[in-house]
This record gives sequence, structure tokens and C-alpha cells, in this order.
Amino acid sequence: MADAKTVLRYREILKPFKPDRGDLLGALHAIQHEFGYVPADAVREVARQLRMPEATVFGTLSFYAEFRTTPPPANTIMWCSGPACRLKGGDLIRLALETTLGIGMEGETPDREIGLHLGQCNGTCDCAPQIWFNGRVVGPLQVADAIELARALLAGERDIAKIVPHAVH
Amino acid sequence: MSTYTEIRNQANAAWQAVQNPARPLVRVGISTCGIAKGADKTCEQLRELVAARGLEIDVGITGCIGLCYEEPTVTVTLPGGTIVLYGRVFPAAAEAFLEAIAAGAYANDFTIATLKGRLPDVPPIEKHIFWRHQVRRLMAVCGVIDPENIDEAIAAYGAYAGLNRALTLSQEQIIKIVSDSGLWGRGGAAFPTGRKWDFLRVARRTPKFIVCNADEGDPGAFVNRTLMEGDPHPILEGMAIAGLATGAEIGYIYIRDEYPLAVKRVQHAVRQAEERGVLGQNIMGSGRSFEVRVVRGAGSYVCGEETGLISSIQDSRGMPRIKPPFPANAGLWGLPTNVNNVETLANVPWILRNGADLYRAVGTQRNPGTKMFSLSGHIQRVGVLEVPFGVPLRAILTENGGGWPEGRHLKAIQPGGPLGGIMPAEGLDVPLEPDPFRKYGVLMGSGGFIPFDETACIVDMCAYFIWFCEDESCGRCTTCHNGSARLTEILRRIQAGGGRPGDIDLMRLIIAALPWSNCVHGQATPTCVSNMLTHFRDELMTHITERRCPAQVCRGLIRYEVVPERAADAAPAAAICPTGAIKARADGGYEIDQALCIKCRACKERAPEAIRVVDAFAGGAKPIAQPETLRAPAAAPRIAAPAAGD
Repeated sequence: MADAKTVLRYREILKPFKPDRGDLLGALHAIQHEFGYVPADAVREVARQLRMPEATVFGTLSFYAEFRTTPPPANTIMWCSGPACRLKGGDLIRLALETTLGIGMEGETPDREIGLHLGQCNGTCDCAPQIWFNGRVVGPLQVADAIELARALLAGERDIAKIVPHAVH
Repeated sequence: MSTYTEIRNQANAAWQAVQNPARPLVRVGISTCGIAKGADKTCEQLRELVAARGLEIDVGITGCIGLCYEEPTVTVTLPGGTIVLYGRVFPAAAEAFLEAIAAGAYANDFTIATLKGRLPDVPPIEKHIFWRHQVRRLMAVCGVIDPENIDEAIAAYGAYAGLNRALTLSQEQIIKIVSDSGLWGRGGAAFPTGRKWDFLRVARRTPKFIVCNADEGDPGAFVNRTLMEGDPHPILEGMAIAGLATGAEIGYIYIRDEYPLAVKRVQHAVRQAEERGVLGQNIMGSGRSFEVRVVRGAGSYVCGEETGLISSIQDSRGMPRIKPPFPANAGLWGLPTNVNNVETLANVPWILRNGADLYRAVGTQRNPGTKMFSLSGHIQRVGVLEVPFGVPLRAILTENGGGWPEGRHLKAIQPGGPLGGIMPAEGLDVPLEPDPFRKYGVLMGSGGFIPFDETACIVDMCAYFIWFCEDESCGRCTTCHNGSARLTEILRRIQAGGGRPGDIDLMRLIIAALPWSNCVHGQATPTCVSNMLTHFRDELMTHITERRCPAQVCRGLIRYEVVPERAADAAPAAAICPTGAIKARADGGYEIDQALCIKCRACKERAPEAIRVVDAFAGGAKPIAQPETLRAPAAAPRIAAPAAGD
């Protein structure tokens, strides 16, 4: 259970959101924006604020790909699943990242330092094939670049411009 | 409350300083695609350098002009009003660029064209290859004005003048103008907009809602994002006009989660429009009201289906529901609602400002006006353009887009998102209109074109599109969520070398079942597989009967080998191999342990001469015998029960 201070913080964040006007997604985004995920005990507060069953809130939370119910890893590699990337070897980049990091899509390393997340095309296709590292586009990448990137991240390097300078703008 | 004339006069005063600045005005194209290539860092650098050196230059922002392949793009407005466009001003080049501008060297290594006015040694943009065929109505000021300043939109082309005119018209008059223009919905269904509005107008219950669908979920389509980030006001104005025409006073714009900058720009635009009194209560003193609420999605493709989008807004999972009732009768909270696409709504102010006749001056009789398209995939120039309907697809792909990578040829074109299907290369000469695409069993769709060259494998791309449909199925209909899952399984099995002759019938069975799904997501899921059976049957059969992938993409059908005579050069390949499959031999050469190889291609990238790709089943493996039924395909798809244990 969340401590009283956290509950008060949830309520403060949720104050602008009102029942019956389509505010649920906004409320969940606001919680996730601050905490990095939507904690289970925030579900209760959202339900109370918007006067709806907790099951409705949880049902919505679990429907969408971009809501998290667990804290995010320290660093996230979001892999672009889009068609322009796939045509240029994006699928092999996924394979290389998963193999080198030893984790699957939506997984994270045991030390919670690096996680893999499936991303959707947002039209930055001039950089295809690409990933996002902590929200920033990195591309175009060769498969070999992705392997070097994953190896360096496992070794503790975080300045990815040092690893794949041609793909970081 | 100010009248429109007062609002415009105020905007014009601010616009003068932008249009004819006292000193050069440098604007960086800050858009999602620009930022991906460092435009935000370029902008920051320029600001810092200008401040540090006390240069007589101003730095600001604009949106994407559509030349994504030239990003980061920068415009410079010179005293006198000439505007010059520059490209590839990467952060590392910002200093060199600024020095050239400060020295008055406006024609330099970064120069693309003049957007306005003339300059020696600089061609006008009209001569630029990416400008060919373009008629920019919606994109007229994208990449030129500051999208975060409403005054520029008002002064530059008269944003909200269409709304101002609509305030003087009756509902029927507005709908007549929109109907006369021939405008139809740009989201993919191509339904006449005026008629759709009329359904809402005559609905009795209130309140009514206008919903703008900005959930541009088709991967490879980014025209709506370009508009929202480059010039958001016509979208809001179009919503307000739709509200006046139908009696709705509340609008929702639902923007996908992947577009945070578009969310920010649209929210900002709504605030500014309310401050100016062109949205909100008592619009321009007319006594009429229209409020816009911005909803940010959270990652779900099926929310782009109108009833899924409605479900998503009204506090729930984005599950599409059965139609009828149609949203015009029972939409948001069961009340009358219209859902219109971003581009549809953005056309409306133009029509109100210029009239239906002028709108029809470009395009074709059945499809008047313009359409925005985005180009990506195997194409030289990634970007966004706006052309009249009827221009040949070939023109925009080979001229504007520059065609396929050098030395390659076109194999197929994916026109309308994962549900739109895959068109064979013969379709290249279709005019850009919905009907000609249907002849190939594909949809023109919402605006993303993705050419495939011969390095693409159609089986692999189908496996991708069908996986996407499975992953994004809401889960309500068994036909959809299970049908797409079964298709994915079959396609992946074929890719892994386990294709069976009976798979064709099995796929036909699923193709016949999916249209019984409730919404268009399930109904259109098998489009690409149908296209493959019709247009790419040989390639599919080669995968199944010869267990060979002609494009050498499907990993179960290929093997990586060390070229024996170049084995000594394989050291970089061994170093990059993520599984340690490439092992040094006693004689100084290398060999690949096939049990460890995951076929990721990294070795070939690092040692292209020393590594080769071969067909896994070449020579030794015996092709599967082809049964009689498959040699002569049945005239009509045969719906057979799948073999037991399949």
C-alpha cells in the first residue's frame, strides 16, 4: 500500500480530471508521467476521482501498449516495428538486440538497467532502421551497430553517441 | 469580444515583423522527424551562438516542410521578405551554417531553394524535384510559419476566416458548400463529408459531438502528424465549422500517443484560439460556442476505427462495436457524433474561404481537391507531399521520391497501411484516386506509400502485417483475433521451412472467415494475404514447395557460410557474431557453427566478401511434391475444412 503522502500526491495530480467527460486516459497519463508507471494503488484513486469501478480503470490500463504497471527500467531501448524499418533489416536488429542483451521484447536485464520495448512507427522513416534510446531516435542502424550498442550498454556505457556516432543526431 | 477583422488586423501587425524582418530570421523545422535528425539541437546551438557572438540574427521555429530527407531543414527570411530554404543543417554543422548566414553568403552548401522572392544562384522551390506535381493547400504554410503562433496562421492565409464566414450561414448552407466541393473523408472510407454532417445535423438528441480522428495508426503514414505539427489551426477551425453545421458544441481531437509533439502543438493551438476568441464560448461575439478537448491515446491501432475511438474517449478500452447504430445516431455516450479525419477537417476552412468551385479547380471530377501522401521504405527521398487527385502514382514515387535505391527495381507497393494490402509493381501507373487501387484488391488508404524493391520478401512482409493485425486486434471477435493468429502461425511456419501444400487452402479458409468480423480491422486483416495469393503466388509456392526464399530474407530458408577462399578475412565477422557461432579453425580460416547461428546478418555486414548467404535446402533437400489441385488453381476459392491435426 502507498503511504499517505503518495496517496495525497495521487489526489493532487488527479484533481483536474472529472467524471463523464473522457478524462480517464488523461488521468492515467498524468500518473504515469510523474511515476513512470501506473502503480496499482493509483488505480483506486483514479476510480474514486472519476467515479467509476476500479475494474474499468484496470481494464483500460491493461488495454493500451504504452501504459506500464511496473516501474520502468533505468534505460529503455524502444525498437521500431514499422514497415520501412523492417524492409531495411529492422527485424534482424530486434533479433540482435534480444540475443545480445539476453532478454526478450518487453523484458529487462536482471539489474533493471536496460529494457526492450516494442515501438510503433511515428514517421521518422528517413532514419530507418531505427530504435529510440530513452526516447531519442537512433538510426539508421546496421545489425552490427545494434550488437555493438547492446554490448557497450551491458558494459556500462551510456553515451551512445560514442558507440554509433553516425546514427545519433 | 473582437470581430474577425480586429483579430486579423492585430495578427497582421505581428506578421509584418516576420514577413519583412529588420534582420535575418532563422527558423529551424522542429517536428518529430526533424528532431529525430537533431533539429532541436541545431536550434539550440544556433540560439547559443547568436547570443554568444551578439549576431544581428533572430532564431525561431517552424514545422516540417515535407522534405524529411533534407532534415534538419532551416529557413531564413531576409530583410525584404525573401525566404531561403536550407537542408541537412545537422547540429555539428550549425556553426558553419550560421557563419555563412552572418557573412551574407545566402547561397551556400546547405541551400536548397528560395521559398519566396529571388536570389542569385538559388533556384526557386517550384523548380525543385520534390515540388513537382504539388498543389499545397493544406501544407501551404507548413515549414514556413511558426506553428506555435496563431497570429501567423491568421495573417498568412486567413485562419478562422472560414469559420467567420460559416457564422453568417445556416447549417444547410454550410453543408451545401461542403457537399458541392465534393470533399470526402480522407481516413480511408472515402465517405462524402457533407452527407455525413447532414446525418448529424438531423439527429434529434443533444448534446452532439464532433470528433477528430488524429490516431494516424498506419505505420508508414505520417501526413496528419505533419499537419498537426506544422499548422494545427485549420484542423481546429474545421472542427468548429463542423460544429456550426451540425449543432455540436463540443469537439474532441484524439491524437495517438506516439505523437507527443503533435499533442503539445494542438493543445497550445487550442489555448491560443480560445484566447483570441475564435474558439470557446461566444466565438467572435456571435453567441455561438465550440469547445475543443484534446485526448491523447495510449498505444492502440484499433482506436483509429471510429467506434473504437469513441470507446477509447468515453473512459474505456478501445473496443470497436457493432454498427448500426452509426455514430451519427449513437456515438459518444450514446449521443449523436461525427468522427472525421484530420485531413478532411483541415480542408473545410479552405473550402469556406475560397468556395466549392475553386476547390474543384484541381483534382478530378469524382475526386476534387488535393491529398497529402507520405513516402517511406525503399525510396530515395523520404517525405510528405500534397498533390491533386489523379496524378499518377508513378510520378510521385519516381520523380518526387526519386525512385528505389540505385540499381534495384520495384517489386511491390504498400499503399494504405497494414489493412490496405500489397499492390504488385504493375500498379505503379494507377492515378491517385481510390477506385483504380481497388482493381488490384488494395486500398489507397490514408496516405502512406511504401515501395518494396526486390530485396523484400512478400511472405515476410505479409507475416509482419498479419502479426501487426493480430497484435492490435481488440480481441472481441474470434474470427479476427484467432484468424490473424492462425495466419501468423502459418506464415511463420512457411518462413521456417515447414510450409505444406495444404497451407494455401488453410489460408483461403481464414481469408473467407475474417470478413465476418464486426469491424474493419478484422474484415480487412487478410487483404495482404489475398494479394499475395493473387499477385505473388509463385514466390509463395517457391517458399512452400522448394523451401526457398527468392529474396533470401526468411531465416528458416537460408544459411550463412564462410566463403572458403576468403576464410582468412572473416575475423571481423567472428568478432561481431552475437552467439560466437563463427569459430577459428586450426588452419587460420573460420567456419560457422550452424547450430549457433541465428542468421542476423551482422557477419555479412562486417565481412561482406568472406561471408555468403545460401539457400538452406539447396541441393540436398528434396522439394515437396506439388499435389494436382495446386497446379491448376480452382476458379473460385475453395473453402475446405483444415486437415485434421493441422
